[in-house]
Amino acid sequence: MSTTMLTLILLIIMIAAFVLSSIKLKSPDISMAVAAVVLAIAGTIAVPELGNPVRYLVEGLFVNLDLALLFIAASIFVNIYAHSGAIAAITRGVVEKINNKWILMSIMGVLMLIPGALTGAGSVAIFVLGGLVNTVLEYLGISQKKRTVFICFFAMLSAACPPINLWTMLMTAQANMPYVGFTWLLLIPIVIAGAFTIVFVGWGAKPQNKEETLAKFPPKDPKLKWWRIVLPFVAIVGLFLLALYDPWGLPVLGLPLMFLIAGLVALLCNPKKTTFKEYLGILDDTMEQVFPLVANVLSIGVLQSAMAATGVRGLIGSTAVGLPLVLIYVLIIIVGPICQGCFNYGVSIVLGGPLIFMFNTLGMDVTVICAALSLIFPLGDTLPPSRIVGRLACETTEYKESYLSFFKTLVLPMLFLGAMGVAMMVLHSKLAFLY
Amino acid sequence: MVFFENVIHILYFVMAGLVGFSMCKSLFRRKKNKGFVFDAMYAYCLIPFLLRVLYIK
Repeated sequence: MSTTMLTLILLIIMIAAFVLSSIKLKSPDISMAVAAVVLAIAGTIAVPELGNPVRYLVEGLFVNLDLALLFIAASIFVNIYAHSGAIAAITRGVVEKINNKWILMSIMGVLMLIPGALTGAGSVAIFVLGGLVNTVLEYLGISQKKRTVFICFFAMLSAACPPINLWTMLMTAQANMPYVGFTWLLLIPIVIAGAFTIVFVGWGAKPQNKEETLAKFPPKDPKLKWWRIVLPFVAIVGLFLLALYDPWGLPVLGLPLMFLIAGLVALLCNPKKTTFKEYLGILDDTMEQVFPLVANVLSIGVLQSAMAATGVRGLIGSTAVGLPLVLIYVLIIIVGPICQGCFNYGVSIVLGGPLIFMFNTLGMDVTVICAALSLIFPLGDTLPPSRIVGRLACETTEYKESYLSFFKTLVLPMLFLGAMGVAMMVLHSKLAFLY
Repeated sequence: MVFFENVIHILYFVMAGLVGFSMCKSLFRRKKNKGFVFDAMYAYCLIPFLLRVLYIK
């Protein structure tokens, strides 16, 4: 039997295990872990040289450990900050002062872009601002489904937004290209897609009565001065900027520690008298709140590791690259996001890197192609098995209907951004003036 | 700078330990996400934090 056929059989076994486990256990997270265990065992039986399958599974648990720590730390920061009443106070201020729906939505969109643009992770944008944006959009009379779409889509855009776009960084690193010239190539499509989404979400929405909305907020705490509200945000944004623009003047803190430091600042700025036991309660609640997401990223790591060890990951990448050029243009909008759903940032290595080399061989402008791919891949953050950003957005707005019903509404902005990415790939030579 | 880097390195081990402890607590007593499937998930998600704290990986 050829190696390709053997790997294909392993891929089918993995998919079967995932589907059966999903039906039986009704949890995509544990289903990914089960699929990884089955794949690792089947791979070791088929190719005994692979050795002990436990090794791949345990190594896989460490693939996304930093991401899991980031989710936990960011949630701790946000929950301590929210406990102080600061988020409610900011929302109240925004609703009181700005009357125009479109201006308010544009401000929310720009604000959501900042955390992801500085960290490279869309989930951070939801953790930091998701709750606030949800409340403001609710005041604007936007339905729960469209609020979830807004938060989810802007979180995806924030991950792709310069200066930190991890997909581009990984692809350029793999192709020995400088990470230079991407600012406008990424920013212009993001602004266009963002404007489209604002119109799509805000169309027809009628703002609620301002007085009634303000009455729903908790009363103003006189002890909550402006500096208590601003300082935690200044701390986190300051640390992001320092790490970005003065990397040698600061020890490498890492995002989880940055969020914990900001959490400590939020704790010190809290005007409420909160006992140690209450803080422990907040920590316990945070852990329970964020656990499904932690389980999700750890399970993806296990699956990635098993797929890499058995060659399934390589099979997907090499098959995609071997397709005719026209088919790549047609399929990238589907295959790219699906691979992102499976591998997260690993899609840049599995699919992005080989595609860059292939387009380079054809004499195409790889800087534009790389930017285009970096706009298409983030769309997969809403696709199974991981659907990290989609899930987080649903949790933030407490969207209880089926995920599919939310996804159907999200498809239009996603297609708009995807189509722009494909157009950039096709018209690569005409867009070179942007860098 | 090297000193600070070492302190940060240790802080990450402490963080892993605290998260592991919290997860271990949640494995036996939690408010939501009850049931066998979540028991299994809590158990295997505990592994990397435990291995990190024990300096095994």
